[in-house]
Amino acid sequence: MGQAALTSRRLRASDDAEAIELCFARGWTDGLPVVPPTPERVERMLEAARLDPNHEITYIAHRAVSVTAEKAAINAVMAGCRPEYMPVVVAAIEGIGDPRWSYHGPGTSTAGAAVLLIVNGPVARELDVNAGDNLFGPGWRANLTIGRAVRLVMRNVCGSRPGTLDRGTLGHPGKLSYVIAENEAESPWPPLHVERGFRPEQSAVTVMAAEGPNQFYNQLSNTAEGILTTLADNMRISGNVMGQPQYAVVLAGEHMRTIAGDGWTKAMIREFLFAHTQNSHAHLKRTHRMAGPVEPEDEARLRPLVDSPGDILVVAAGGRAGAFSCFIPGWGGKRSSQAVTKEVKR
Amino acid sequence: MIEVLDPTVEVQTHPVTFVPRPDSLAGKRIGLVENTKFNSDRLLQKIGDILVAEYGAAGTRMWRKRNSSVPAHEEIVQEIRATCDATVAGIGD
Repeated sequence: MGQAALTSRRLRASDDAEAIELCFARGWTDGLPVVPPTPERVERMLEAARLDPNHEITYIAHRAVSVTAEKAAINAVMAGCRPEYMPVVVAAIEGIGDPRWSYHGPGTSTAGAAVLLIVNGPVARELDVNAGDNLFGPGWRANLTIGRAVRLVMRNVCGSRPGTLDRGTLGHPGKLSYVIAENEAESPWPPLHVERGFRPEQSAVTVMAAEGPNQFYNQLSNTAEGILTTLADNMRISGNVMGQPQYAVVLAGEHMRTIAGDGWTKAMIREFLFAHTQNSHAHLKRTHRMAGPVEPEDEARLRPLVDSPGDILVVAAGGRAGAFSCFIPGWGGKRSSQAVTKEVKR
Repeated sequence: MIEVLDPTVEVQTHPVTFVPRPDSLAGKRIGLVENTKFNSDRLLQKIGDILVAEYGAAGTRMWRKRNSSVPAHEEIVQEIRATCDATVAGIGD
């Protein structure tokens, strides 16, 4: 297809090594070396996604910034993406530009959210997005470069630079890249994107503004209720307890098989966790999370951790061996940012 | 020699015009926009009270944003425009 010309400013370097240093010197990197974004590499990235350079992927109203395919492709090259990853990067950028994700909060907040990307559908297997051992890394190029590309777009295009418009107090390692796939091949449950309205043969990316993964142990119970009781106990006081954010729950191989073996569906898991992660007002007040003196009725008054069971995203992923799983608190609160799922268009 | 493309958005100038600051707050109606965070209403009300007591403002009225992460919504912007001479917006945390 005939493409419009690339219009970004061009800088010169004697070779790739000097170009890598130039990218550092200009403040364009996340602290790791980048692949120099030459016009040829950027064009290959755009061709793989069949996008014209001037195509607007999203418009971040809060920042008055248009994210064009050209800028996304430049940053994807820098992140080390293969050209065939580009459609996933594009879908994720559409997600963080969606008003429901609400860019300015999670892109800026002191609470230090990363963008958790959950990849579903055929594209995950075709690109070898890891859904198994060492789920959160390292070791898989797709997982580490797709998320990195999104973060570089946030930095270089949307202005989310540490210390200026990214004011994370602590941040976390997922802000480098935070990409997983669902283990659809072994999962007994409908995949996340199907629960969120897509067909199984479609590919999709879910973006969620998220804290780091919290691993929990249950090496004792062989029942769904036993494992989920432990999980609920770990979850109950986590994240922004008073803010009612969304949560992702990632169930790895052993726990997945035990829970499914008892006949539990994802909906049952959500209902159980919703019911068993509520805190009494008395406890929230005693632990200085809720303001005011403890009143007698506060012992029995319960505040749900999330707004509704549907605000717990259940994903089957992680290694086959090991009686561990994790939960991931979302950033802030649901009314400030929600997980968004976008189709990967190829 | 190789060429690399700039990954940033080149600076674009957006002319922004600010309303002139009032010479005096005497008799002025003050809008307060609180961002829903804990105590932000109390902090802003204290500021509003000082503007009335020490600077002679006519009075204050408070509006609440939908949440702290988004700009003030259009309805309250229009109300403030129609009923106030000056506004204080701030973050409480």
